[in-house]
Amino acid sequence: MTERWLLALATAFAAFAAVNAWRSLLGGHRSRWTLPLLGLTFIAQLMALGLRGEMRGACPLSDPGEILAFLSWSLVLFYLMVGPTYRLSLLGLFTAPLVVILQLIALIPELMTPNPPHVESTDAWREAHAALSVLSFGSLTLAAVSGIMFVILDHLLKEKKLTGNLFNNLPSVHNLIDSTKRLLLIGLVILTIGIVAGFLTPNLGFNVHLVVASIVWIAYAVLVSLAYVRGLPPHKLAFSSVVLFLVSIFAFGIL
Amino acid sequence: MKLFCLGLNHETAPVELREKVSIANTHLGEESTALVACDTIAEGVVISTCNRTEFYLAAESIEAAAVALADHLQTRFGLTTDEHFYEKHAREAAFHLCRVVSGLDSMVLGETEIFGQVKKGYAAALEAGVTGGVLNRLFQRAFSVGKKVRNSTGIQEGQTSVGSVAVDLAEKIFGHLRDSQVMVIGAGEMSRTTAQSLLSRGAHSMFVTNRSYDKAVALADEMGGSAIRFDDWEESLQKVDIIISSTGAPHHVIKPEHIEKVRRRRKYRPILMVDIAVPRDIDPLVGDIDEVYLYDVDGLQVLAAEARKRRQEQIRICEAIIEEELGKTQLPGL
Repeated sequence: MTERWLLALATAFAAFAAVNAWRSLLGGHRSRWTLPLLGLTFIAQLMALGLRGEMRGACPLSDPGEILAFLSWSLVLFYLMVGPTYRLSLLGLFTAPLVVILQLIALIPELMTPNPPHVESTDAWREAHAALSVLSFGSLTLAAVSGIMFVILDHLLKEKKLTGNLFNNLPSVHNLIDSTKRLLLIGLVILTIGIVAGFLTPNLGFNVHLVVASIVWIAYAVLVSLAYVRGLPPHKLAFSSVVLFLVSIFAFGIL
Repeated sequence: MKLFCLGLNHETAPVELREKVSIANTHLGEESTALVACDTIAEGVVISTCNRTEFYLAAESIEAAAVALADHLQTRFGLTTDEHFYEKHAREAAFHLCRVVSGLDSMVLGETEIFGQVKKGYAAALEAGVTGGVLNRLFQRAFSVGKKVRNSTGIQEGQTSVGSVAVDLAEKIFGHLRDSQVMVIGAGEMSRTTAQSLLSRGAHSMFVTNRSYDKAVALADEMGGSAIRFDDWEESLQKVDIIISSTGAPHHVIKPEHIEKVRRRRKYRPILMVDIAVPRDIDPLVGDIDEVYLYDVDGLQVLAAEARKRRQEQIRICEAIIEEELGKTQLPGL
């Protein structure tokens, strides 16, 4: 099975998880299948990325398709670690569609180079920079997802729309704020190591990508510091986590 | 063989009578056996909870079984089957059992404990060997109907009193309440019941303040909390998570500036404010502050009324499911 088929299979699992989760919610209960289906998604993604890595002889982060596939893999990885641990019900409901979208884009033929060339040599710092930076965005993406869930719940509570399956099944405000903060912190720590690795890459010279990454790091560092040290109104924290994520993705997308 | 049910519950009999016919779980099997010892009764199951005692029988003649059961009640409990008892025959008895198992006949609508209690009664009779073709099929069917009703309807959802709505909101905001600190402003009855609901769900620390300090002390003692003088309540704003306000003040007691003053020190932690006073104690503008979730008595009552309305709709849906499920199979004894 080729890596594209494996990625398509992963997308199918995630799509099935998304449809099943939403259908269950409309039926008034939570799906038990989201976690196992996203577990299968994770395995298929890992196999696809493994094949790409073998082809390239390096971390599969050399074209936009690979970066998106790697990002959606790290998103699922953090979902599998955080969702059950913090009992964040419905996190999968919001994560699965995002995984589907990322992977559908990754599957566009022009975005993923067919039969990529095997690299002649690799640099450990460069590899670490690329892998850790994208991995950190798995956590930061999930923080944004958690932020969106908070914004929805906050709206329902403030507008006193306290009925319906979505309201009943969303986690508590406290859980959502807490998980957003933790995911931002985890993302920031990994991004920090990734950026340090970037600066340690030999013969890099002036690199726009690294400058943008540093600006993104500063923005996230300010947000995390404010959230943990001074405190931030929950709505501002959630909104900032979403906006910062979108701006970063947009910036890296242009680059 | 015909099905027959005789029983009493919280709606038909006072507690003094219910406790007379209450049967411990350990004696349910013996009680069922005692019923079947009567010549005219072929099968028997006894269900007994704090709110109900019911006898399900299968007999060739309902009339003869009813007489035998009445004699048994007279001998065993010294009771006559008067207006406190209800009788259900054939399909009506099966329908009633399904309602009971589904929690539709319970004091707290949709509660789940009854399912296990009925199971215990049936298991005791089954073990005693006093059930047969009629009651075995009936109870097995009732359990499957009960599961279906609970899984496919929202009969357990929604709170129907102001206090319980407030508790539900608190749990939606804070998750569990064991780390939540509560401040009660005004020592009235509504504050007391709402605070009690919060304590019963795990809130661990409570401050009570009132214009009359003695009343605050009395309520604080009752709740296991501490009293604060009315002039000092603002200082406690920094640490509390939930405020229940119910004073007789003709003006707003809590204004936006009170909250604004402590927001930074609170690190913008969410705060639930429940205003059950009329006129209102909390300025509605307080609800515009980002981390404040403010609900007044009208809002809570609307929520409670909506929940009650939804439950009535759910009861209709549940009963339709029971009818449909009973219609699917031909149960003996109906």
